[in-house]
Amino acid sequence: MARPRVCVIKTDGINCDEETFYAFEKAGALCRMVHVNQLRTGEEKLSSYQILALPGGFSYGDDVHSGKILAVELTSFLKNHLSEFVERGNLVIGICNGFQVLVRTGLLPSKRIGEIKTTLMVNDSGHFECRWVNLLVEPGRCVFTRGMENSVISVQVAHGEGKFYTDPETLREIESGGQVVFRYTGPDNRPTMLYPYNPNGSLNAIAGICDSTGRIMGMMPHPERFVEKTQHPNWRRMPSDVLPHGLPVFKNAVAYFQQT
Amino acid sequence: MIQEVRVITKEGIPDSKGEEVLYEINHALKIKSVEKVRTARVFRFEGIAEKEAFYLAEKLLAEDVFQLFEINGQVIKDAKVVLEVAYKPGVMNPEAASLMKSARDLGITGLLAADSSWEYGFYGDNITAAEIERIVKSLLVNATVEYVVRKAPETLIIHGSPGPTETIPIRTMNGDELMNLSRDKLFLNLEEMTVIQKYFSEIGRDPTDCEIEIIAQTWSEHCVHKTFKARLIVDGKEKKPLFQRLKEATKKCGNPLVLSAFVDNSGVAEFYDGLAICGKVETHNSPSAIEPYGGAMTGSGGVFRDTVGTGLGAKVVASTDMFCFAPPETSENEIPPGCLHPHYLLRRVVAGVRDYGNRMGIPTNNGSVHFHRDFRAKPTVIVGSYGILPVECSQKGKPRPGDLVFVLGGRTGRDGIHGATFSSGEMTDRTIEVNASAVQIGHPIEEKRMFDAIVAARDENLIRAITDCGAGGFASAVGEMGAETGARIALDRAPLKYPGLSPWEILLSESQERMVLAVSPENAGRIFEICKGYNVEATILGEFTGDGRFTATYESKTVMDLDMKFLHDGLPQRLMKASWKRPVFDEPPVVRTEDWRGLFVSILGHLNVCSKEPIVRLYDHGVQGTNALPPFAGDDGSGPNDCVILTPVLGKPYGMFISHGLNPVLNKIDPYYGSIWAAAEAVSNAVSAGANPKEIFLIDNFIWPFPDEEALGALDLAVDACTDFSLATGMPFISGKDSLSSTYRGKDGTFIKIPPVLCISAFGRIPDVAKTVSTDFKKPGSKIVLVGHRNLSEMAGSVYYDILGHLGNNLPKINPAMLAKVLDAVHKAIISGSVLSCHDISEGGLAAALSEMCFGGGIGAAIEIAGNVNPENFLFNETAGCFLMEMPADSEPEEIFGDTPCTIIGKTDSEQNITAVRSGKLLFKLSLSELKEAWQRPMKEVFR
Repeated sequence: MARPRVCVIKTDGINCDEETFYAFEKAGALCRMVHVNQLRTGEEKLSSYQILALPGGFSYGDDVHSGKILAVELTSFLKNHLSEFVERGNLVIGICNGFQVLVRTGLLPSKRIGEIKTTLMVNDSGHFECRWVNLLVEPGRCVFTRGMENSVISVQVAHGEGKFYTDPETLREIESGGQVVFRYTGPDNRPTMLYPYNPNGSLNAIAGICDSTGRIMGMMPHPERFVEKTQHPNWRRMPSDVLPHGLPVFKNAVAYFQQT
Repeated sequence: MIQEVRVITKEGIPDSKGEEVLYEINHALKIKSVEKVRTARVFRFEGIAEKEAFYLAEKLLAEDVFQLFEINGQVIKDAKVVLEVAYKPGVMNPEAASLMKSARDLGITGLLAADSSWEYGFYGDNITAAEIERIVKSLLVNATVEYVVRKAPETLIIHGSPGPTETIPIRTMNGDELMNLSRDKLFLNLEEMTVIQKYFSEIGRDPTDCEIEIIAQTWSEHCVHKTFKARLIVDGKEKKPLFQRLKEATKKCGNPLVLSAFVDNSGVAEFYDGLAICGKVETHNSPSAIEPYGGAMTGSGGVFRDTVGTGLGAKVVASTDMFCFAPPETSENEIPPGCLHPHYLLRRVVAGVRDYGNRMGIPTNNGSVHFHRDFRAKPTVIVGSYGILPVECSQKGKPRPGDLVFVLGGRTGRDGIHGATFSSGEMTDRTIEVNASAVQIGHPIEEKRMFDAIVAARDENLIRAITDCGAGGFASAVGEMGAETGARIALDRAPLKYPGLSPWEILLSESQERMVLAVSPENAGRIFEICKGYNVEATILGEFTGDGRFTATYESKTVMDLDMKFLHDGLPQRLMKASWKRPVFDEPPVVRTEDWRGLFVSILGHLNVCSKEPIVRLYDHGVQGTNALPPFAGDDGSGPNDCVILTPVLGKPYGMFISHGLNPVLNKIDPYYGSIWAAAEAVSNAVSAGANPKEIFLIDNFIWPFPDEEALGALDLAVDACTDFSLATGMPFISGKDSLSSTYRGKDGTFIKIPPVLCISAFGRIPDVAKTVSTDFKKPGSKIVLVGHRNLSEMAGSVYYDILGHLGNNLPKINPAMLAKVLDAVHKAIISGSVLSCHDISEGGLAAALSEMCFGGGIGAAIEIAGNVNPENFLFNETAGCFLMEMPADSEPEEIFGDTPCTIIGKTDSEQNITAVRSGKLLFKLSLSELKEAWQRPMKEVFR
């Protein structure tokens, strides 16, 4: 089967590009590291790819708002390319800073470029925080979590601006439209607003959302940091046959193209 | 005309920054009259119209979901006091470039300059002006780089024209005049000043300011390590220079994995699959003492550049941080004039390390914090960096005549002028005033993209030699690279942050995020292409020559023309006297403990034992996805590990470990055994996780009081300890650094020396990370085994003694040869799979190690203490090189360990307690949750 091609975006301040690249390759995709400058000059074209990955980091220093400067760059220069890319049925994933970029382009939650309906604010704690959290995978339309529904996965968060926030109406739409993909859970495996299980104070414990087609997904935690067993802090306490919890996210993306 | 845009969070939506400031005001400053704080961003734009500012506000600055904005108007309207805090003009605000870029991306032309700042609104009817002043001074503004904006600026553009190059009439100066020239600026002594005078007398002219500055910089203690290279008379007898001793010991160790020791910006050792790993640890004490945030940032940035500037270029894979401060609860009036409070220093240094490492995408995952009141004038801030590179690129490159001098990365400004010379001087109450320019704000994004470009250039074989622009700037970087060949640079070619820099300022500027490359002319075009692709500015500054001279021009005029030989070899070797006399400290009375619970709570809650987890959580220690043993793990993530193990090549079974050890207070008692302890602790931390003692490489960092005879005597002993340790264990030192200026001298006669710090870092390779262990107990019913040599009467310098209020004299005297055997036995046990968890013993003794293993595992322990030993000493002795292990219930530890001392002290338990039995009687039963609370509380209070 053909390996889907992934465009892993790189620019000033993106710093989770290599592990995102690795996760997709391990899942069976064919990756290329593409600098935004190469897209701007036309040296690289989005149309050569089926998956667009926006990795974590601090694009352009997260100046003004996290992910904002990159979002402005993408929507100023690549608006049409982006629209075409998503309309052709391709996949987009934004992790951490990539999620922040996706909400600030408007691709999430509504796939309408330039329309910012949700935001990721400074954590309630007021500072950056790196810790492992548990996520409940919501049943819904998301392509990246097929077969993972209702399971609880362990992943790392590492961010200072990850509090999911929106107005009540948009929240209702996202909830009722099956667009919530992940929620932070407490020790009882139920969604929680309790710190540190919900590390940032996100509304409705939302850790990740998708658009109405389920093909554009953004999440604050880092699934790419758990695609090998030894990446988990407690792999020594786990059964020897444990499968890395983040890997299915990437495998689902690859499988999507191999099935259709 | 400047357009101002103010942005504020809508009413009813939490303002986290405001809440944090309020918490600090109420809790750290204990000012209760402030009831609420609101914050707003202020953006200023020069050269555009109001309409365009509005467009920017809508599209870029404010998000309607949660924010409001005003153009040229106030957003905080009803507060009792509103004030704005901004960077001082000339201090680079990293956000300005992003504002310019986004405005361009949005199609706005004509924008000449942009800036951003913060506005604070304070609510509360009873707030006094004095309280606001305290809040400003202690919390919001570091006057070195920031100010309160009283009047909006009329322009954001910095104007200026460079001053002329001056000639210094050094040939006619007398001794006093020479020393006046040196004071506060050159930091050279009279002998050195006289050598310079003689050189210029011989060549028949006076030096330019460029020349005198570059000599001072090249000859500074910071750059040339005069003390470590000095001839040493110890108690009347001459001994080899310190640096020579370390290098000779490394040679004698003859470890075949060492690829490069003490010659490059970091030490390099072989890894696997044609790869090498490198390590470098630096101090950044002086800048951090006056501007902790910027100081720590530039410390991190600098040590990362040392890694990248190793061989022909390396990739940074990890960062470490070790700090020493006075206790955060030290009262204000104990802080000497001109010094900052440790609570503020600790938080701001951590913030600096956090913001630099996190933004670079470099995991900060090994470190520690030590507290002692004698760090109240000058803290110790140590930052380490580790990298990976191909073996074939692991040797330091040599420029050839005709190669181009390339500078990559950030622009040159007035930042950090005199940083190298300043770091070499003692701290006084005038330091903050005189040396404000030595600190700057780091720009990690600039550094990250530059590193990406450099690794790409290295992979295409375009780099002949590389070094970082650190202390001494171009002067140091080009001067060192061209020492054998000679170099000619045109200072007016250097891209500047703003106009007005004089030639000597360009030459000496320590602006961060710059690296210098030697590139063969045919590769220049490709370097420019790669840099452009990564948004990195690249400039050809000049070329390496074959004339053995260091020449600089400015607008075609020669402003410097020095003999490289004089510059590098002209400094007279110092002759220094050293003599250390053992001080006598009080011994504590023998106390029979009645209140075990209270004692455990005091030990675990002691600043040098307590959990540092809140600090680690602020660092992105997981970026790059490489942690195979993270700093904290276990049941609820609260169990501290002894070292970090990384898999820098994802998907491969092999990895590298990083650990360290230091215990400054022991060096006060005895610098020899204190230093052996530090080394033993560093390598035990590695071995306890599974490192092979034959594949451990060491890095030394001496942070010492100013080297008077006594301090130098202590240093001499510490270096002897290092070489003895190295030779006994076979573990070589491959990199190191000294910083010998941690003495404070106040106008009022206050004189404070820090306890001498020797920080030993250890790193190396591990063939299979699957065969490593963590510290958290894995299951109830396992055997708890104590391994190693302990002399229980050696209690001096322990936390237990500190709690009793004494230092003592009889400190742990570890025998490195015996330690080597223990380490071997521990390693064999771990790789054979017979160890479930392992933790080495350090501050807080067996009691702390055992408690931490319980915390991480969520599992209790029941131990037995023999009737013939003193239980306090058994529990709280701090001999490094001893290990607590969890071994399966059916294992036979005595068989596994043979003649290595080992004792089964008890077993793990499903009950959530630690219990101890002595002579058949219950000595204590302590609840884990209570102990854990005491152990976690101190840092939770500092880092909310």
